[in-house]
Amino acid sequence: MPQYRNWPVRLVLLAAAVSAAGAAMAVLGDSPTHSQSSISTDSAANPQLIKRGAYLARAADCMACHTREGASKEYAGGRPIESPFGTIYATNITPAPKAGIGEYREQDFAAALRQGIRADGSYLYPAMPYPSYASLSDDDIKALYAYFMEGVPPVTEPAPETSLSFPFNQRWAIRFWNWLFVDDVSNTSSANHSSDLSGDRQQQLARGRYLVQGAGHCGSCHTPRGLFMQEKALNDQDGDNYLAGTELNEWQVPSLRGGDSTGLRDWSEDDVIDYLATGRNRHAATGGEMTSVIQHSTSHLTDADLSSIAAYLTTLGATDKQRVSPAPVSTPPSHTAPDATTRQLTSATSLDEGARLYLDNCNACHFANGRGADSVFPPLSGNTQVNADNPTALISTILYGAQLPSTPKRPERLQMPGFDWRLSNEEAASLASFVRQSWSNDASRVTPEQVAEVRQAHGPGKPAQQGRPDSLDHAREDAASTPPSN
Amino acid sequence: MSLDSEGQKRREFMRNSLTVIPAVTLAPSLLFSQSSDAATPPLHQYVPAFFNEEEWEFILSATDRLIPEDEHGAGALTANVPVFIDKELSGDYGQASDWYMQGPFHPNADPVFGYQLPHTPAALYRLGIQGARHHAKQQTGQEFTDLSSEQKDALLTDLENGRADFKAAGIPDLPSATFFAFLLQNTREGYLSDPMYGGNRNMVGWKMLGFTGARASFREWVTQHDVPYPLGPVSLAGKRG
Repeated sequence: MPQYRNWPVRLVLLAAAVSAAGAAMAVLGDSPTHSQSSISTDSAANPQLIKRGAYLARAADCMACHTREGASKEYAGGRPIESPFGTIYATNITPAPKAGIGEYREQDFAAALRQGIRADGSYLYPAMPYPSYASLSDDDIKALYAYFMEGVPPVTEPAPETSLSFPFNQRWAIRFWNWLFVDDVSNTSSANHSSDLSGDRQQQLARGRYLVQGAGHCGSCHTPRGLFMQEKALNDQDGDNYLAGTELNEWQVPSLRGGDSTGLRDWSEDDVIDYLATGRNRHAATGGEMTSVIQHSTSHLTDADLSSIAAYLTTLGATDKQRVSPAPVSTPPSHTAPDATTRQLTSATSLDEGARLYLDNCNACHFANGRGADSVFPPLSGNTQVNADNPTALISTILYGAQLPSTPKRPERLQMPGFDWRLSNEEAASLASFVRQSWSNDASRVTPEQVAEVRQAHGPGKPAQQGRPDSLDHAREDAASTPPSN
Repeated sequence: MSLDSEGQKRREFMRNSLTVIPAVTLAPSLLFSQSSDAATPPLHQYVPAFFNEEEWEFILSATDRLIPEDEHGAGALTANVPVFIDKELSGDYGQASDWYMQGPFHPNADPVFGYQLPHTPAALYRLGIQGARHHAKQQTGQEFTDLSSEQKDALLTDLENGRADFKAAGIPDLPSATFFAFLLQNTREGYLSDPMYGGNRNMVGWKMLGFTGARASFREWVTQHDVPYPLGPVSLAGKRG
């Protein structure tokens, strides 16, 4: 969750809440305390424990925030996380004594992870997903502690200090937020899956639930947030909002619940496993922030854990909102008659500008039927980002392309080139409108102004020019240089 | 260069026609071609960077005979072929910047050994045009540009067959056939290469051939038999012709 650039402005209301927090302090007592647990203080770590901790650190994707992009020193912090309140810098979590967490005892470490309380007693900003980590088991905390103390090389350079402006620099006020929104450590009760499931299946579902709600902290991005930036539901017992999908940096974050067209309704468990392991499957190719999550975290999980996650996600039902809008968008089987868009593109007649642009720029990979090719070219028909209310992700992908992560199972970084050099704002808008209203898709048209905004936000400094002929860069002075064959 | 008033008028007419011809010949396929017009100025607005005025007149005349406008499609002038040649000669190609240009040079080497002359393409054009104009004066007493189409064709045929005496023009080491080969090859390139190189204006060369340009997407046509392909070309820069 590297960027919260688009935390809604209304959350500045949090400032008002902070002032109310003063009153609450009287109720809550006056000093933060670490809740007691069965965590012991002995630090005898064995290699298996460290290895397990390393695996859990992958599952929790600690690196996403605690390693700066492009930095060689892992977990040394310093990655800026933009928020409407200012920039929060992730901390150095290497075992360096002063710069890092080398002086943390195991119970200090546990309190930071599960309660958001630092060893010095001050509060972490909830950019750290401790509301999710609250459900981590004592054994897993122990393994993570062993890994971060003995498996990670210390980095003595301190990360930049986070200094938000008043009132957000009043870390004590977070205590009030925690009191409102964070569950106790005891949030480990398992979901009530029907009892006719086999013991193995129940165990698998419980493991999936634990990974999704705890270390995986999937809800940080996939659960909508409330007025005070709190996740509206921290687990499946907490309501239908859990993993119901939202928006991040103007990209649609899909629902992970079944039953919704932006969710996993048409996905089998194998589809989920493929997606998490490789970033691609027959329905989708990953994009946006999820690319990094797959590259650094989920592609390193065991097949058993990915199966557990997939099994668990298929148990999440549609939300009430999703239930009232059935609108099936399932891809039609190939033996049925082609739809109107496919027929139009196949005959290449009666084309408006958007359709003609599709044939000139997109058709070679995504094809006339808009279904692309399994695990290589993502389908556009029924595609989450294509159909998102906010067309920013689609426009951005058309203009600047996309790249799949390299994963152990699928190392090739398949690329879609950018078309910013080839399409005017008007043309990109026509093209985006065409794909949003073709095949099974039914989304609003895109305006040239929306394209202009995406270009503006992207900035001229870093044009994506994959696929752009070199000679378009220079005024073409050095043209064809083939000597005549005399 | 002396020009009689008739030659002047003919050239005026030829130049002014250039803006009209594309609109007439391409009217049926104009639907998507508007966007490609803006970037490429018509020939008469182009200011040559490499050729001087007399050389430019020769190139206009000669390329117009090599690919004339006719019932098959647009000619070299409509396609801005002279612009293409001027641009490539004023760039790296003109300087032979990536050719081996050290001696020994053998002007009479067998063609299988490739290009063996000491001239860069830029120098070769200057000498070749000088030689061709000299040959025209020798044969007809007139400037090449002022001759009839038949006379021009005869002179170009002389160049092609090596019968034009460039030595008499003071050019000892350039066979006229070599100059003609360059001119013909570069004219073809200007007519058929992507419009971003200055020629093939509005993709007229591709339209004449029925070439679809940089679309690279014909999967759904494999199974459509005896159906005319309905789409015009698209350029590398995405312009639609």
